Amino acid sequence: MSESRRRWWHRLTTRSPLLVTLDALILGFVVGALVIITTTASVLDAWRAMFSSWAAFAHACQLTADVVGAAYRAMFTGAVVNPRIFWHAVTTGQGWTLALTPLSETLTYAAPLIIASIGVGIAFQTGIFNIGANGQAILGGVAGAYMGSLVHLPTVVHLPLTLAAGIAGGVIVGLVPGLLKAYTGAHEVIVTLMLNYVVAALLIFTLLSTVLQQPGQQNDISRTLAPSAQLAPLFGAASGLRVNWGLAVAALVVVFAWWFLERSSLGFDFRVTGANPQAARASGINARAVIVLVFVISGGLAGLAGIVQLAGTTHYLDGGFLIGNAGIGFTAITVSLLGRNRPVGIVWSSLLFAGLGVGGRAMQAATGIPLDLATVIQSAVVLFVATPVLVQEIFRLRHAAAAGEVRLATSGWGS
Amino acid sequence: MRLELRGITKRFGTLTANDHIDLTVEPGQIHCVLGENGAGKSTLMNVVFGLLHPDDGEILIDGVPQRFANSGDAVRRGIGMVHQHFMLVPVFTVAENVVLGFEPTSRLGRLDRARARQEIRHTSQQFNLEVDPDAIVENLPVGLQQRVEILKALNHDAELLILDEPTAVLTPQEIDALMAIMRSLAASGKSILFISHKLKEVRAISDVVTVIRQGRVVDQVPPTTGESTLASLMVGRDVTLTVSKEAAAPGAPVLELDDVVVRDDRGLAAVDHVSLRVHAGEILALAGVQGNGQTELVEAIVGMRPVESGRITLGGQDVTGATPRSVLDSGLGHIPEDRHRYGLVLSLSVADNLVLNAPRRAPFAHRGTRNLAAVRGNAESLVSRFDIRTTSVQAPLSSLSGGNQQKVIVARELSRPLQVLVASQPTRGLDVGSIEYVHRQIVEQRNEGLAVLIVSSELDEVMALGDRIAVMHAGQITGVVDPSTSRERIGLLMAGATGDGHE
Amino acid sequence: MSTVSRRRTRGIGVFMALLGLVTALGFGLASGSAARSSLTFNPVDLSASAPLHLGTLTLPTAIANLVLGLAMAALGVELLVRVPRRGVMARFGAVALLFFLALLLWAVRTTGPAPINFVNVTAVLVGASALTMVLIFGSLSGVLCERAGVVNIAIEGQFIGGAFIGSMVASTTHDFFFAAVAGGAVGGLLGLVLAFLSLRYLSDQIIVGVVLVTLLSGLSSYLNLQVLTPFPQYNTGNLAPNLPIPLLTKIPVLGPVLFDQSGFFYLMIVLVAAVSYGLFQTRWGLRVRAVGEHPQAAATVGIKVIGVRYANVILGGVVAGLGGVAFMATQGQFQPGYTSGLGYIALAALIFGRWRPSGAVVASIVFGLSLYLSYNLQTFQVPVSTEVLGMVPYLITIAVVSGLIGRVRPPAADGVPYQRD
Repeated sequence: MSESRRRWWHRLTTRSPLLVTLDALILGFVVGALVIITTTASVLDAWRAMFSSWAAFAHACQLTADVVGAAYRAMFTGAVVNPRIFWHAVTTGQGWTLALTPLSETLTYAAPLIIASIGVGIAFQTGIFNIGANGQAILGGVAGAYMGSLVHLPTVVHLPLTLAAGIAGGVIVGLVPGLLKAYTGAHEVIVTLMLNYVVAALLIFTLLSTVLQQPGQQNDISRTLAPSAQLAPLFGAASGLRVNWGLAVAALVVVFAWWFLERSSLGFDFRVTGANPQAARASGINARAVIVLVFVISGGLAGLAGIVQLAGTTHYLDGGFLIGNAGIGFTAITVSLLGRNRPVGIVWSSLLFAGLGVGGRAMQAATGIPLDLATVIQSAVVLFVATPVLVQEIFRLRHAAAAGEVRLATSGWGS
Repeated sequence: MRLELRGITKRFGTLTANDHIDLTVEPGQIHCVLGENGAGKSTLMNVVFGLLHPDDGEILIDGVPQRFANSGDAVRRGIGMVHQHFMLVPVFTVAENVVLGFEPTSRLGRLDRARARQEIRHTSQQFNLEVDPDAIVENLPVGLQQRVEILKALNHDAELLILDEPTAVLTPQEIDALMAIMRSLAASGKSILFISHKLKEVRAISDVVTVIRQGRVVDQVPPTTGESTLASLMVGRDVTLTVSKEAAAPGAPVLELDDVVVRDDRGLAAVDHVSLRVHAGEILALAGVQGNGQTELVEAIVGMRPVESGRITLGGQDVTGATPRSVLDSGLGHIPEDRHRYGLVLSLSVADNLVLNAPRRAPFAHRGTRNLAAVRGNAESLVSRFDIRTTSVQAPLSSLSGGNQQKVIVARELSRPLQVLVASQPTRGLDVGSIEYVHRQIVEQRNEGLAVLIVSSELDEVMALGDRIAVMHAGQITGVVDPSTSRERIGLLMAGATGDGHE
Repeated sequence: MSTVSRRRTRGIGVFMALLGLVTALGFGLASGSAARSSLTFNPVDLSASAPLHLGTLTLPTAIANLVLGLAMAALGVELLVRVPRRGVMARFGAVALLFFLALLLWAVRTTGPAPINFVNVTAVLVGASALTMVLIFGSLSGVLCERAGVVNIAIEGQFIGGAFIGSMVASTTHDFFFAAVAGGAVGGLLGLVLAFLSLRYLSDQIIVGVVLVTLLSGLSSYLNLQVLTPFPQYNTGNLAPNLPIPLLTKIPVLGPVLFDQSGFFYLMIVLVAAVSYGLFQTRWGLRVRAVGEHPQAAATVGIKVIGVRYANVILGGVVAGLGGVAFMATQGQFQPGYTSGLGYIALAALIFGRWRPSGAVVASIVFGLSLYLSYNLQTFQVPVSTEVLGMVPYLITIAVVSGLIGRVRPPAADGVPYQRD
């Protein structure tokens, strides 16, 4: 008994990738709590009064716990499930829509995130930092919008064609850094970073063009996708739940990615290239082809994420589509890092980050704490994940003898 | 300066690189530390130079114990080091490199370039080391870069100079020049610690030789000690430097190079109109000082570097400018020079590494999906056939020793149907046991009719293995000779003197 | 000079010559013989320090742009033929300025008897100078970090942090000195985080940089809602006052652009001079460059590589933080997202400027002008899409890193972690 308990303790305190990730999560939420505490006037006032009496001190502690607890509770109930409402649905059989809405929302947001993150993760595993998933996703959305809103066909043809157009849009943007890196050695980080802005400008440009602009509109708003090009709600329109067939697309992508990385010959080439590019070349792997293919796959998945977002959730494009740091493409980088670039890990981290986003909105509505706190927590978590030794030091973890260390690294600029 | 090391011990994890090393260098003495690659010489020198901190033991200069927090401290106490990989900033001028860390300045921290130049001219003249202070280092030939390193040490008033394998990149003539410099420095009272594993040089230049094996001092001997004695001290048993092999029975030419020109990364012709023929059933050894185009030549043969002009054929088939994949598929086995960089993927499993250059070949994959059972089966049979010591075929390659990693490459290459084997520095960094093993495998393959091209900068290896020896200098073949040719003659060819034995 | 940099110079020459021909044909001959363009040179604000009055200059558009285009082409051909060692960036800058001038002349051309539209050259340059100043702060930050071998991709985050704190401090103290100190401190703190994670824990510098930007962007919009919205007194519109230099402001055009600016502008000029001098003429600079090129070599002569890198990354953070305050001081109160990727353009200017302060200045001028025009060209109601002009800095940078118009060589150890032992 004590032997097994000791072993259990040993495992808990020995550094493993999973444990480091969990600890990083804890630290991320601690950072979030600190941010709430230091920026909420009532809490600060309570702490200012702490020296006057024990009661005031206790009050400050109590208030802090209340405020942070309320925020995180609102986040959880907004993203996963509200036990009270759920229980009500179970006992009365009524209100299932309301009870399942949080989960449905999280899954809705997670679907494109999973797809884009897997694209970023495959690139990472090949040693390539695709920072341009956002641009690729935007052009995927634009291409999908053309196909989805300007063409009219039966669903069986139209939906696949729309998704294919989205993939093609992402591939086109991905090919630019891919070809430039393969043939001129241009560093993909700089090229993809710059292309994000080029594509964002291009988005506005196309939205203002008469072809795609919503008729009768002066603003940068596109036509709405034809119903035959939309990803229908998974449980039917009558369910009132937004979760749509995009989730099924994401599931297919996960299965594909697992097979690709673990079982396929091309995936093996990718992994060899990522682990040792020179050895890859010497062993007959065509480095240029791999680089271009990585960007085709990574860009294509980002484009697919863009069109899944469009066809499943928003149904039309506007100037704010995926723009800024809230963009799927940027979140995908952090999601992929958190999931250690592996398909299954990415599924979990996508669910977590989608939940943080959805729950953040619920938190803002319930407590007034801005939803940007979710971004802060996400960034902090990834900073800690990228610095495993720091986490190890904070939690005083033992160094495992032969830990299968995943080093997340890009090369320097050296073009 | 009198340098004394007492009981220096340095461990890296479980490995003890230096185990209670005692050593004394007298003023004006050239003291050689002789040992195999991996014996702990470089670690010891890094300890003396303050780059590593000893776990135990002390360093005394003129009887006074020293503690070096970093190499700057060592430099300030009068120790200078010429590193195997030069510690020079390529884009800086000679003057900037020499004064770095000890810059003369005028007001406001402004670099006093005039004074720097003057200091360097002064030191140059004093020790007869001519070099232009305004030249950019990366534009200088290797021999001159080394001179800059020596100048840098002397400019910091070094009284003891550490030279770490200084001859590895030099031509025989440059080596002679270096030895002359070393002698004159010693004559002017400087102490010199000379690190080497080359017996001839050691005997030619040293006053005292300390032999190190597996981190321990084995013996201290005078330089007049015979080569075979030194060699056996180094490796710990009597070694035969010759490989036992029957006479070759060469067949038709398999690998043919006609007038091949290859450019290096800077766009210069590194391989300059080279023609070579490797016949079935013979070993052609390519000798030469490192950096004379051998690397580029091999890269061109295996398809990793474009061929500017000329023709390469493999078994009659033109492979000029072919991709590595098609060259490998047409029956070329390649044991690369830098195995960690080009031959292996340390984070992948032994099994994956054993199919690294043919992952799509049946039965390892079918229609783009890998057959992991076949990959494992292949690995298990190769591991037992080639005696690769590993806990499991699924273990990451990084868990294997250097010799076993090299065996993985050899096993992988020799388990494919081959016409020709190209091996670059196949035994670099290996222990004696592994060297013998690799040599035996190579000779066996040649006996079975394989054409073998060995590239090595170790003259002993070249002479022991080669059925014919081609010598390369400055991108050209200066001669193709019989292995019975004298070392002196081969040395001359390595220095660029064209021989009579040219094909 | 190496063959590589010769090829780069020739590439730039070809690019410039082609741009010149396009200008001569597209903006020149195509605008017709009747078109006229007018330029004015007087600042909008005619205060006491206003420069000497200059009249309006009206030119025939076709001929003017033909001349400008041919001049650009001539500069390009000169590079192709002579392949000079120095001043390549300066020539490129000159060609870019001529191009923008030609674009403006073409944009305001009119065939009527009296010109309705005109370009106020001084106003354009003054407007662009604000953006250019911020870009220079950012790219100088990059020079300081990357010359020491650490990639600072978090400049954008340091801009955001500097602008946020700068606005709060300027609003409460009404003193831009304190705002600058606070903004610099926040930038330096972010530099410290980057240095700490990448030097001590060897985390990937690019990943840390990207995540720091995300963190700052999230944190600033969080704080904006949580603190600045309920307490608007912490975020009043803050514009730094101009400090005209007597007499020099009287110089036409150059006076208002260079000598009637806020203290941040003069600080920027001092910083450019100090960094150029420090990096290439002093002991400090030699050591910094050695650390960025070959850290092991620097370490063997006793230079503390990690220490130099810490110092430079923190210093670079301070400079970028100051850039954030400077941006705020030209735009007014803090708004989330209003730096809109300027930090990444500064990074681009650094690369385009070949990791040199002087090159970064030229690149920042070109990028600043193209951004300013992309924001403001619609006032001339030209049929050029402003989005397209806004892409210019990004497209130039992509072309540069791809070697399409020449090759760049970063410091050899840039972004490569350094480990003792």
